[in-house]
Parts: sequence; structure tokens; C-alpha cells
Amino acid sequence: MTENNEELMLDLLCKQAVYGLSEDETRQLRELGGDIDGDDAASLEATAAMIAMARIDANDQMPAHILAKISDSADEYFDALPSNRSRYADRSNELASAAAPKPSVMNWLGWAVAAAACVALALNVYFTRIQPSGPDQAGMAKATPTVQEKLTPPQMREMLMKTAPDVELASWTPVPKVEGFQQVSGDVVWSDQKQTGYMRFTGLPANDPSRETYQLWIFEENQGDKTPIDGGTFDVSANGEVIVPISASLKAKNPKMFAVTVEKPGGVVVSDRKKIAAIAKIET
Amino acid sequence: MLRNSEDAEDAVQEIFIDVWKNAARFDPPQSSETTFIAMIARRRLIDRIRYAQRRISSDSIEDMVVEPADSTTQNLQTTVEGREAFEALKTLRPEQRQVLELSIIQGLSHQEIADATGMPLGTVKTHARRGILQAREHFGLGQKGLSKEVPA
Repeated sequence: MTENNEELMLDLLCKQAVYGLSEDETRQLRELGGDIDGDDAASLEATAAMIAMARIDANDQMPAHILAKISDSADEYFDALPSNRSRYADRSNELASAAAPKPSVMNWLGWAVAAAACVALALNVYFTRIQPSGPDQAGMAKATPTVQEKLTPPQMREMLMKTAPDVELASWTPVPKVEGFQQVSGDVVWSDQKQTGYMRFTGLPANDPSRETYQLWIFEENQGDKTPIDGGTFDVSANGEVIVPISASLKAKNPKMFAVTVEKPGGVVVSDRKKIAAIAKIET
Repeated sequence: MLRNSEDAEDAVQEIFIDVWKNAARFDPPQSSETTFIAMIARRRLIDRIRYAQRRISSDSIEDMVVEPADSTTQNLQTTVEGREAFEALKTLRPEQRQVLELSIIQGLSHQEIADATGMPLGTVKTHARRGILQAREHFGLGQKGLSKEVPA
């Protein structure tokens, strides 16, 4: 192989690991003799996978309804593979070194579920771009139910304030000259330690989710104002007080300000900040 | 990419099925369980993104000229792999780290990163390549085949 081809092949393998390859690029790699599943490709993919984990929180819980679906999928999948069932189960036992050696599908599933945090967090990019939203019982949205979430948002907020030693509180204030939001009030509480927070609003107008959504931005103390963290999208479907859990896409450290903008449905990667509903600054 | 929770849930289910299908290929000396699953997850997501051919407007990311993460002040990792990755990122040049974070963590394409940062496309590609190779070296993963380059 010529040096040029070798360089091109390495380029493609790196691109495969970082971005994935198009069909043309895959064909080109094969023509160059590259092994898409070879050692180089695997080590580069593993590198990219590890980098993806640099900013993920392994404490994330898989939503209960997804867990249930996956449990059903496991039953369907392994039931359809009766001849392989024991082999998979055996393999799962090897992987689940800490688990009791029960040769069952559910034991294998248990290992997979134990690794769910990894899966969910490897989904970081995906989830940050497709923040789910929809109204919940409190008349607002953005509450993804998890196994642990049995309490209502107001109760969870109260619990956070009682149990988090580092909880910060800031009051929402409308931005002058932004029409429609001058009545907004309320507060936001945040705990760095727990990486959890809640927004409480009064006077935040109900939005039409088919046209727009609210999106939270978290400004960290040590990051530039141009790069706030996406705090997730939410909708408001009722008047009165609403409490919205914060679902940050990345870990936030020492937030100095929170801002809520109005964005297109689904939210945006970067806000043009043309319509800021409210801001809350943490007083130091 | 569709922006709805159903799509995300489908992806999670597909990833689990991929994990089950590929469980026999898991090789502990080569990677941890976490890395193994993360690799499968990334493959599936890349496939879905490519399938959907979703592209965000370059206009919407113009302001996303991310300053390199201040690795000394962030405490983001909670997994062994995450801590190792964080250390690896700290060894990279700021431009390399920025490109890898925008691509691998934020999910931007070469072109989108070029648009967002103002870097020439070729420079973005070079930083991505050198960054991932250097990170691989830091992790001590596979020094076989083509991997002879020692990034600047």
C-alpha cells in the first residue's frame, strides 16, 4: 500500500470512529483494503466511545417505562432464539461477574440494565437534540418519569431544598422590553452536588407546543456566556404556579445565571436569544 | 433526526438488542463492559443520524464557538472510563479537544464544526484525526496496523 493510501485509510478510520462513514466512504475504505471491523477501527471506536463518556453522569436512571419496554423486548428476543438462549445466558453470566450465576434471561437483562446508565449517557448527543416534552400532571412538561421519581415536582423540589447542603436559589425576573413575559416571577433552585434543580414559575404564559417551546439555559461561572448548558425544553399548558424539573444535557458547575428562552418545538442547540422569557441570577 | 421521545426510546431498545446480539463478541481484555456498550450505542446512533440525514442549520450553531472545556474546574465524570477520558482530553491541544468535544459529545459534523468555529474544514479534520489518535495512545488502545502517527 502506498503511503498516500495508508494516510487516506487512517483518515477514513478516524472519521468512522468520530462521525461514521457515508456509503461512498465505506466503499472507499473497503477498496483500500481497510477492515471496518479490524483492530484499528475497533480501537478508534473504543476511543471515541470513551471520550463520549467524559461528560456523562453514570447516576442517570433509565425511565421506568423504557425499562419495561426493554424487559418486554428481552423476552421477545430471547424467546425467538430458543437454541441460543442458554448460550446467551451463559455469556451474560460471564459478563455479570458480580451477579449470582442464575442462567436466566432476566439475569442477563439485569446486567444490561445495570449498564443502562452507560447506554443512556452514550445517548447524550441524541437526547440533547430531541428533548422530549409534553404536559404532565402539574400542567407543565419535561418530566421524564424514572424509577425513583414517585414524588410530584413540588415534593421533589421541597426535598431537594431540605437535603442538598449546597442548594442555590435565584429569583426569576423578566427581561425589560420583552413583551408577554413581564408578569413572570418565581425562582429556581439548584444543587451542584446533586446536579438537580427545579424552576418555579408564576405568570409564565402557556405555550403552543406545536409552534414553540420554552428552553432553559444554564450559565456556569467558569464558562463564557456564549456557551451556556442546555437545561432542557419544557411546555406550560396551564396558568398558575408550575414547577419544572431541570434536565441539563451536561453537568453544570457553579451556575451563575439561568435563562429561559422561547424556541422552536424541540429546542435548539444554540439560541439566538431573541425571545428571553426570564432570567435568574444567583447572587454572590 | 426526529425530535421526539419515541425516536429516542426506539434507539434505546435497538441498542439493547444490538448489545444482546453482540454479547458473544465482548472481550474483557480489549474493553470494559461500559466501553463495549458505549461503542454499540454510538454505532447505532450514528446509523440513525445518517439514516435520517438530519442536519442542523449552520446559522444555529454560529454562536457555538465553544471554548475548550476548563478541565481543571469541571467535575463531570462519574465512571472509571469517564475519568480516564477526561484525563485524556486534558492532554490534547485545546483545538483538538474542542473539535473532539463538538464532534463526539455535541454530535456536530466536520462542516458544522468548521462553520461554528471558523476553522478551515481541513483543519477541523486534522484536529479530529490527531486528537483521536492521541487519545487512543493515552488510553493504550491498539497500537496495531496503521496507527503509527504520533500527533503533534
